[in-house]
Amino acid sequence: MPDRSLRAIQQAMQQCLTDGDERIRSLIVGTPGFSIETRLGIYTEAYRLRLIDALGDAYPAVHTLLGDEGFHALATAYIDRHPSHFRSIRWFGDRLATFLADHPAWKDTPLLAEMARFEWSLRGAFDAADFTPLTTQALHDVPPEHWAGLRLVFSPTLQEPCYFNWNSVKLWQAIDAESDPIPPQRLAQPETWLIWRNTEQQTRFRSLLVDEAWAMNSMRQGQDFAAICDGLGEWLDEEHIAARAAGFLHQWLEDELVVAIETGNTSP
Amino acid sequence: MPSLPSLGYGLGLRKEHYHAILETEPNVDWFEILSENYLVAGGKPRFFLERIRERYPLVMHGVSLSIGGTDPLDRDYLKQIKALADTIEPHWISDHLCWTGVEGINLHDLLPLPYTEEAIRHIVDRVKQVQDFLGRRILLENVSSYITYTDSQMSEWEFLGAICEQADCLILLDINNIHVSALNHDFAAIDYLEGVPVERVQQFHLAGHSDYTNYAVDTHDADIVQPVWDLYEKAVERFGNVSTMIERDDNILPLETLLNELDQARRIGGETIHSELNSHA
Ligand SMILES: [Fe+2]
Repeated sequence: MPDRSLRAIQQAMQQCLTDGDERIRSLIVGTPGFSIETRLGIYTEAYRLRLIDALGDAYPAVHTLLGDEGFHALATAYIDRHPSHFRSIRWFGDRLATFLADHPAWKDTPLLAEMARFEWSLRGAFDAADFTPLTTQALHDVPPEHWAGLRLVFSPTLQEPCYFNWNSVKLWQAIDAESDPIPPQRLAQPETWLIWRNTEQQTRFRSLLVDEAWAMNSMRQGQDFAAICDGLGEWLDEEHIAARAAGFLHQWLEDELVVAIETGNTSP
Repeated sequence: MPSLPSLGYGLGLRKEHYHAILETEPNVDWFEILSENYLVAGGKPRFFLERIRERYPLVMHGVSLSIGGTDPLDRDYLKQIKALADTIEPHWISDHLCWTGVEGINLHDLLPLPYTEEAIRHIVDRVKQVQDFLGRRILLENVSSYITYTDSQMSEWEFLGAICEQADCLILLDINNIHVSALNHDFAAIDYLEGVPVERVQQFHLAGHSDYTNYAVDTHDADIVQPVWDLYEKAVERFGNVSTMIERDDNILPLETLLNELDQARRIGGETIHSELNSHA
């Protein structure tokens, strides 16, 4: 006799939804006007539609780039590969950028993975926890002798910087504004994009020059101001380094990206 | 009579209505929030929630508890629910009598259970754990369903009643779901109402659905149909002045249209209560 425990029934039903497995059919009852097939069909169809909708919500620009049919194919493939493990359906779709970058059907259009990356970052910034940013005054309050050991704690809304080889952000803006489509273009120089949310609940993004991108990354990884100045020697003359580095910090505070400054004996 | 006083007539809080609610302060007695939308302490959802909470009573309604599921209870989720409840102080917390996935997967659907003694024991134990953890009784809602398991040994209302009695939890009775399930499983909706223990019913849901020839699908995207209004009237007769709210998840209408629907609930509820009082005078 097959296992008919509560768990076995649930596993059979789940596999019907995720893989079209038919074992569940022998465990349920149909009626003449409402067959087992129709009954299960309501669940299997709703399962996919709900997740496809959720992906469409999170990735409107990827949807526009691929068109309805293309997006449907992508969503279906993604759902089969990465069923949801999330409590809120809003978080479903977190690996779409990687999926696009690796999948034979889409990896030759790297713009798609970039767009997915950008859209997921926008959502991440939007959904992140509230925070209280420091103002630039906090920098002025740091005594000169503590600057070398200065470290920053960044806003929870700040996303992993995005490295783009394509004009993904311009395309996103055109799609978002519903203006005339612009052609995808490979950039002459790769760009680094920073995405966060300000205290007015607006999602912000801007691109960084290569030295700022490096400094930002290093500070996010916990390096102190002295290490940043050392590293900036790669791009700048000695006499310009300190001013440039201090300028970055100033800008990040103005952007509401910093929630704490740690100095000297406070370990990161 | 329900164990807590009635909150009156409420609506499900939807982000499409945030601005209208704050600007017009509509005649809604309370709002039900979808707990999963507010678990992160920040961002726009919590910003609006805090403001709406200053003006209206709230209750929390979840979809991810999977009380009938056979994976272990998700402690992290329960902690987040408790933290949200500590912050917004809802009048009560509800979820569904269903399961939502196994082996770590969330199917994001409210799936029906086999109505067996095994399932009752399993769920009663889990409800007790949840209630101990949250420090309060929870409400379980009947879901609409399209399948019946061959192993079921009793009616859905017997199953629901047994769990609530044994675990000492409360009931969120969805009138539309009773109507939909009655069509799909060939039982009389009134039998369901009459089989539910009166003192456990704390809240009603009203909603619309889609009708097909031989069955109905709970879509929460349409107006409430007359048979559901009729059943609601019967429910008020039996259960009294129970907090009532209208759920609309898709095809979100302007607030004003929903307020009209809510007024209809008020009318039916008010008249029924009134005539009940008179007949018992
Ligand atoms: Fe409901």
